[in-house]
Amino acid sequence: MSHSSINNMLACHQCDSLLPMPLLSEGQKAYCGCCGAALFSKKIDAINRTIAVATAGLLLLLPAILLPIIGIGAAGIYNDASLVDCITVLIDTRNYIIAFAVFMFTIAIPTVRLFTALYISLSIKFNRTKPSLLVFFRSYHLLDTWTMIHVFFMGVIVSMYKLSSLADMTIDGGLFSLVLLLLCSTLVSVTMDQHSVWHKLEQALE
Amino acid sequence: MSNKALASGLGNCPQCRKLNVMYTEKQACSRCKTVFCARKPNSIEYTLAWTIAALVMFIPANIYPMMVFYSLGKPDASTILEGIAIFIQMGMFPVAIIIFIASFVVPLGKIIGLFTLMYNAKKPTKLTLKQQGKLYHLVEFLGPWSMLDVFVVAVMAAVVNLGFITSIEVASGISYFALMVVFTIFAAESFDPRLLWDNHQKQHHNTVTSDRKYKNTDD
Repeated sequence: MSHSSINNMLACHQCDSLLPMPLLSEGQKAYCGCCGAALFSKKIDAINRTIAVATAGLLLLLPAILLPIIGIGAAGIYNDASLVDCITVLIDTRNYIIAFAVFMFTIAIPTVRLFTALYISLSIKFNRTKPSLLVFFRSYHLLDTWTMIHVFFMGVIVSMYKLSSLADMTIDGGLFSLVLLLLCSTLVSVTMDQHSVWHKLEQALE
Repeated sequence: MSNKALASGLGNCPQCRKLNVMYTEKQACSRCKTVFCARKPNSIEYTLAWTIAALVMFIPANIYPMMVFYSLGKPDASTILEGIAIFIQMGMFPVAIIIFIASFVVPLGKIIGLFTLMYNAKKPTKLTLKQQGKLYHLVEFLGPWSMLDVFVVAVMAAVVNLGFITSIEVASGISYFALMVVFTIFAAESFDPRLLWDNHQKQHHNTVTSDRKYKNTDD
């Protein structure tokens, strides 16, 4: 098969069917005709939106990590905890595996992912592509499965429900920051147009 | 629709999904430079290994207590299932259901689902390809959600720390549980769904001789 025709084809990542490259207009989504897997989609105004959402997410990062999320009080004693407190308590009690897991899945990986999204979008917007971007964008793909802010947020909600029967519970600013960070982190996946980013990188680096 | 990339000597990059001409068995993608094969090498073996590791971790995760609850200095340790039983006794059914699904049904279902997928990639079964594809998506999607209990315990241990009155301490069971969840995610990542379609095609080549009939059943 010649080299020119291969660029106009794609294979489904799920069932390996060879398909002609669909030409999509903004906002459309392509599915595999054989197995129904979502192939790719063309997003509206992807670069600008990703820059906006990723910047917001990075700004929210510090308050979400450092501000106390929830607190309880009983018999005149009050205690609250932030995301960092969760990790330090785990390290103090020598649960290193859990501490590492919580740190990676809720702080490290989402941060790297947001930063990568911002860096790549900015580079493409200002036409400053370099080969190192390939490494960045590959890491973005790899980290997609390992972002767990949404699960952590669900965990906080379950804890709130449990604690509300135990003692007087208060909600602090960290929870709001966490909700907004969660929104930004999810929105980045929605606005990021992976297919066109790869395409642009390929064109720019040739 | 029997036109597969593998049969044409082409390979799909797992990272950027660009179609590559496979000159050798293992090569770097022309676009993103990821080194890959047309099919993940030893996919079933890796998946089986991670799934068995997860299954082994499931046992201590359920035997050992998840957290120890100190009330006025009196310790009260509870495992996953004991914790759920306490919630049912207290009448907190929504939380009991969420915890039961997230920390017992989902991990076990994921392990069973992975075994089903691996069997489907080797032998013909009654499940249609659509169902197999959906099962794979479900296993992939559920991956992170089992971490729920780990995060709940982490938050509870940090917040409930009122000295002598009440405090919660993390116990050893949660470490095994977290490892189990990570292992099942690795298992789902190492499984190659294209093997399901390969196996389907192979089975039909063996049983159906007519090419026309083959094309109809493949849809």
